[in-house]
Amino acid sequence: MRRPVIVLVATVAGLVAVLSFHTKPSHLTLGTLPGTSAVRSSPTTSVAAGPPSTQSSAGTGPAPSQSSTGASVTPTTTPATTTTVPGTARTGTGAAVNYNFGVLAVSVTVNGTKITNVTIASLNDGGNFRSQSIDQQSIPILEQQALQAQSATIQGVSGASYTSAGFEQSLQSALSKLHFK
Amino acid sequence: MTRASRLPLVPTQQTHAVHHLEHVMGTVVTIDVYTDADVSAAAVAPQLQRARTTLHEADDVFSTWKENSPMSKLRRREITIAQAPPELAEVLELCAIARDLSGGWFDPWAMPGGLDPTGYVKGWAAQRALAALVSPGISGAIVNAAGDIASFGGPDGTTSFRFGIVDPASPGRLARIVELTGALATSGTYERGEHLIDPHTGAASARVASATVSGPDLGLADALATAVAVAEDGLHLVEALEAYEALTISFDGTEHWTAGFPFAGPADGAPARYEPLEIP
Repeated sequence: MRRPVIVLVATVAGLVAVLSFHTKPSHLTLGTLPGTSAVRSSPTTSVAAGPPSTQSSAGTGPAPSQSSTGASVTPTTTPATTTTVPGTARTGTGAAVNYNFGVLAVSVTVNGTKITNVTIASLNDGGNFRSQSIDQQSIPILEQQALQAQSATIQGVSGASYTSAGFEQSLQSALSKLHFK
Repeated sequence: MTRASRLPLVPTQQTHAVHHLEHVMGTVVTIDVYTDADVSAAAVAPQLQRARTTLHEADDVFSTWKENSPMSKLRRREITIAQAPPELAEVLELCAIARDLSGGWFDPWAMPGGLDPTGYVKGWAAQRALAALVSPGISGAIVNAAGDIASFGGPDGTTSFRFGIVDPASPGRLARIVELTGALATSGTYERGEHLIDPHTGAASARVASATVSGPDLGLADALATAVAVAEDGLHLVEALEAYEALTISFDGTEHWTAGFPFAGPADGAPARYEPLEIP
């Protein structure tokens, strides 16, 4: 039996203040491993920080369930679209969020309760050389970390990452759109 | 223990109850809690909350980005150490120890812009957060502060974890896999550009592409990893310390390690060269 693939695309201008993550606590809970349940503690503080004119609500929100948090990113500049094609996997693209050196959006594919792939759907770093080197080198680590969450082989990766706040924010948003818990 | 026994063959044997991401200290910290089979995720929520609080409290005290943090005030000489929260004196004392053990190659007092223990605080805070997770019913836990890992116990009834070390030449791959319980820290130039500072010159510097240090405490392991990445002979510094081990990966890919570095290997214990793990 084949289930439909649902592709969600949303582009969001989440002009998150570059350094807001330094000072504002927030939390995200990634999808859980098969056969487990996750602690979903209620956010105690909003991440909405930085210049008052910007939005940075991904990853936070009043709802105790993490499944709805990423989806709360506003404003949406491109309407979300849904495409149905044959297959068993579902792919969602998360909100484009600012990170330290640019804007990125994460696309995630889930199959049942497993994350099967994580990629960078879009990346705009303004052509900054330093930023490019960071993006190209650290984003794969983040992809690997996301995949590692589904791996029984290793339980962690040593090696720092710089873009992780934005990456996780967009990833959570993508998972939320897929109602992946 | 054979490697096969480590892996959960049946999903119901999974004891990984919590995978939590926390935005704190300017980065993402992941907290993984492995519970006994009869302990639910909800049952360890108080421990998780305590660990999260520990991280944010450390950020509040030590952040150099927060203008009114005690650390910022100390840097501006608006307060003395005696007037600051006691953790500040504790961390500076530990930094002094790490500086001495590293032969001066790790030195928060020699940072551009003055005293900056940020490089120590992340590991220290993660180690403290881990301590908040020690509890009946929790068989293992990991606090991973953006690649610097504190852990105890192991998954699925084992007593050690397997962690990948990023290949600095191709950070989408893993260069090595280690098996340990405790701390694992990696410093390198491939992530943050020029963030490694030679305390003797104040200039950006690195002699290897990445340096990884394992040991019981993440604060010291992180400091030593920073030192090994810039020191003239960093591996000997670590070799002389009981319970701490190090691995360096050069810009040309050459690897060197201390005698007891905890490579994950086959059952006979011989280190194995793992093929780089490609992202699917």
